[in-house]
Parts: sequence; C-alpha cells; structure tokens
Amino acid sequence: MNDILILIGRSIRNALRQPATILPNIGISVFFLFVYNSGLSSVAQLPGFQGTYLGFILPVSIVSAAVGGAGLAGQTLIKDIDNGYFTKLLLTPTRRLAVIWGPMIASAIILTAQVVLVMFIALLMGLKVAAGPGGFLLVVVLAFLWGMAFAGYAAFMALKTKNAAAAQAATFAFFPLIFLSYTFVPKEYVTAGWLKVAATINPTTYVFDSMRSLLNTGWDSTSLIVGFAVTFGFATLTGIMALWAARGATKMS
Amino acid sequence: MSNEDGADRSITAESLRRDFAELHAVDGVDLEVPGGQIFGFLGPNGAGKSTLVKILTTILNPTSGRATVGGYDVQRQGGKVREAIGVALQDVGLDPLMTSRELLMLQSELFGTPRDEARTISERLLKTVGLDDVDPKKRSGAYSGGMKRRLDLALALVHDPRILFLDEPTTGLDPASRADIWEEVRRLNDELGMTIFLTTQYLEEADRLADQIAIINKGRIVAQGTPEKLKREVGDEVVELQFGSREEAERAYDVVEAVAPNRQAANRELRLYFGRAAENVPELVRVLDGAGIRLQGLTIEQPSLDDVFLRVTGEALEHEVDEAAEDVPAAAEVTS
Repeated sequence: MNDILILIGRSIRNALRQPATILPNIGISVFFLFVYNSGLSSVAQLPGFQGTYLGFILPVSIVSAAVGGAGLAGQTLIKDIDNGYFTKLLLTPTRRLAVIWGPMIASAIILTAQVVLVMFIALLMGLKVAAGPGGFLLVVVLAFLWGMAFAGYAAFMALKTKNAAAAQAATFAFFPLIFLSYTFVPKEYVTAGWLKVAATINPTTYVFDSMRSLLNTGWDSTSLIVGFAVTFGFATLTGIMALWAARGATKMS
Repeated sequence: MSNEDGADRSITAESLRRDFAELHAVDGVDLEVPGGQIFGFLGPNGAGKSTLVKILTTILNPTSGRATVGGYDVQRQGGKVREAIGVALQDVGLDPLMTSRELLMLQSELFGTPRDEARTISERLLKTVGLDDVDPKKRSGAYSGGMKRRLDLALALVHDPRILFLDEPTTGLDPASRADIWEEVRRLNDELGMTIFLTTQYLEEADRLADQIAIINKGRIVAQGTPEKLKREVGDEVVELQFGSREEAERAYDVVEAVAPNRQAANRELRLYFGRAAENVPELVRVLDGAGIRLQGLTIEQPSLDDVFLRVTGEALEHEVDEAAEDVPAAAEVTS
C-alpha cells in the first residue's frame, strides 16, 4: 500500500507545481454554476419542482469538472512515458497497479478538492443541502468515484495512444454525456423521446439523480444505491481497462 | 556465482531471443557472467544491446529463451530481480518537475527504505556523484546532460544493488564526465563487489573497465572473452603500413596477400596481423618495393579492441567512422 501512497503524493505535488493544469477546470466549473443558475433558475418555478435550481444544477458543474479534470491522470502518464520516468518506476519493486493507479487516484483527489471548493461557493450562493452534512459528504464521495472512473478512462487512452493530444481529445469525447441527460430540467419536462432513451442508458443520469436527491430532497435510498452502483461499476471497469492497457505498454514496446 | 556474503550476483542467458516483427533484435544469445565482474557488452547502434538489457532488467519479455539475474528468472521472478538490480538506461529516466533529493528520496522509499534512512542515502549518493553542491531547489529538468546522467546513476544505487546495469552510461558525455563515471564504476566493483553489466559503443571504455567482453552484432554474440584473449585471437602483433594515397593502399592490400593473409584496410592504411611481426617486415618491404609501392610509414604495435571489432563484425563502430567520415572508405575489408 505504501508504494501507491508515495506515488499519489508525487502526482499531487507535481500537479500543484503546475497550477495551469488545475485552475482552468475550476474556472469552468464555477462558470457553469453561475451561468446556468442565473440564466435558468426560473425552472424551479415549474409545478412539481422540488428544492432549488442551485441544488439541481450543481451536479452538472461537478460532473463536468470530472470530465475536464480527468485528463490530468493521462497527461501524467504520458509525460512519464516520454521522459523515461515510467520505465524508471517499472524498474523498482513497485507494483504495476501503483504506477498506474497512483496518478489516477491523485487526479481524483485533486478533482475532489475542486468539487469541495465549488460546493462551498454554492453554499455561499445560498445552497441548503437537504440531506445535511452527511449528504454533503456523500456528494463529495460520489464526485471522487466519478473522478476515478474518468481518470481510469484517461489513463487507458494515454497508455493505448501514448500521445498527449489524442488522450486529451478522447476525454472530451465524454462531454456529450453530460448533455444527453436531464441536465437542465427535471425528467417530467423532457418531451423528446430520443433524449429519454439516451438519458436512461447514460450513467451520468444516475449520478445526477443521486446528487440531486441529496442536495434537494434528502435521503433517497433507491437513488443512492443506483447512483453509487453505477459510479462504482464505471470506476472499476475503467480502472481494469487502464491496468490491461498497462500490461501491453510495459512489456510489448 | 556468489560473493562472500552468499548473494548470487551472476547473469545468465540461454538461447535468448527477441523479435520485433521481422527483425531479430536479439537472436539466440547465450551468456554467463560470473558474480563480481565488470562485463562489457560492445556493439554498434542497433546491434541489440539495449534490447538485451531491457530483457535482463524485466521491462521487456523475450520471444523465447531463458535468462536469470542474481539467480532469479527474469520472467517468472521479475520482482525479485528488480530488488537485486540497479539500472541506468541509455535514456535517463527523470521526472523534470522534481529535484534531485526528491527523486532520490522517492526512489529509496519505493525500495522500502524508511524515510530517515532514505534521506541519509540521498545525501551520500549526491556526494558520490558530485551533485551535492547543486542548488537543492533546482529541478532535474534544468540539469545539463551530464548532471542528468550522474543523477540517474545515483538513482540506480539507492538500494545498494548486487548487480548494476549501465546502458551506454557515457554516450554523449564530455571526457571529464566520462572519466568520472569510469572511476565510479571501478569503485563500485572494487569496493562493493557489484557485478556491472555495461553496454557501450566505445572500445576504449570496454578495454579500460571490463574484465570480460562480449561483442554483439545484428543480435548475435560474435566474440566473447577477456580483452587480452580477444586481442590475442586477432594476432600477437600488428604492423600498420601508411601510404600516400588510398589507391596505393588498395594496391598494397592485394600485393601483400601472400605475406600477410590476415589483414584489413582502412583509408590510406593497412593493418597486418602476425604472431611475430619483426620476422615478416623485411619480406613485406621487399614485396611492396617490387610492386613499385612507396611506403610512407611503418609501425609495430599491439592489437587493440578496434582490430577485434573489425575482424568479427567486418565494420568499424559507427562513431569512429563518423569521426573521419570524409576520407574513410565505406567498410574496411577483413581477411582472416
């Protein structure tokens, strides 16, 4: 376990030495929060809408931060491969899992810190978390798992392509997922049949649902179990994909 | 196989092979390196040196064959092999955002060294490789090529490995930095009994440092033994003849065939190999004089590893050809 902690620490320290890799993502999250909340807050006046629009739109800001920030894990791995440090790590007794998951977990931790910051900004904007401090914490945990899922995908693409631009572009391919869901209005107000189908098969929908229930309506066990199961499953899948890609990258080149 | 402490420091390979599509980068290599030796692995660019090092250090699987390092199988016991070895590859592996101390500390900790001890080791190694007076805040990305290589060597030593792999450790370094690395390699071998597997393109480096040498060409080992043995196999003595032009040297090459069947030509010179050179010189001069070829100079010397390399590969090492590229013919011809 020690090796993975050492490598997480190294990735976080390196990221903090390059604030330009983090700050734009925070800026975009906060921008989404302000723009959508001020522009669309009248949605909360619709009959049957529960809670505040701020609590409804905050998960969109969080999930988009995860997609944007996921590239960090991939960029770290590609830089390590390019400058030979990846090989140097493979020449130590360190587990391959630690070499790959270290940057992934670091990326998810950095993202979680960003999410906490965005959530505090939301609190300053008047957010009241319906499920209380425990709910606040669970939203942060969900954000971490979602960050792990995207970091795994970014690491997988980095190890497969070994190309920084290709890996970054691949993470952007996930942006449409944010919008193929009940992103700006509740399910009841979406009329397009194709969007309903897309939202049903889109895992992002279940993350939105879990976070929104915690923020706007309180404890909803069904929504939470589904949200956590989907997120955990997605994170496990991409984590395994990254390890599988690493096997090829470490022995075949 | 082992030294006084009982630890296995040997390296072996049996029919080791690595293919990349149609290319046989390593083509049936057999090796036996006893513990405590400096083993020089000599060959031109693309000969298969780095591929072999990658297989022996567990970062590349062989296509077939078997290898052991420190008594452990490189494929089945990779973790054990990595605990026993230190590796400085041809391309240094440094994180440019980290300082030398951070890199050394991290490397030590990854080998399981407690933090306080890792700090002591880092300071000692920085002193050893002459980087202790560098600004501690300077990140490795801002280091010169020579400094990076020295730091990379220090990283390979954090866990006192039994066996050290150095893949072209002095390529691209200035003579002073090269001499420093040679001194350190010699010290590690003398004082710690470390087995050192050193690949190089430099004949002088192999000659000065190695107890045993293997020459690899196109993935195959073409000669192996002590530097002295390899040189003796070429001949006990070399007569070097200098001529006024390349054309004259080429004519002389044919003319002296009966006297010196074992010979090679390079530019305006011929190198002739004999058991006892002095006995053959009068006949040589007579034959050349009879053909109307005028000698510019004649020297008798001991064979060098250059001669060995030319003989077994049929060509000069690339960097040496480059140095005199304007005059030297495409390839020296070797007859034995």
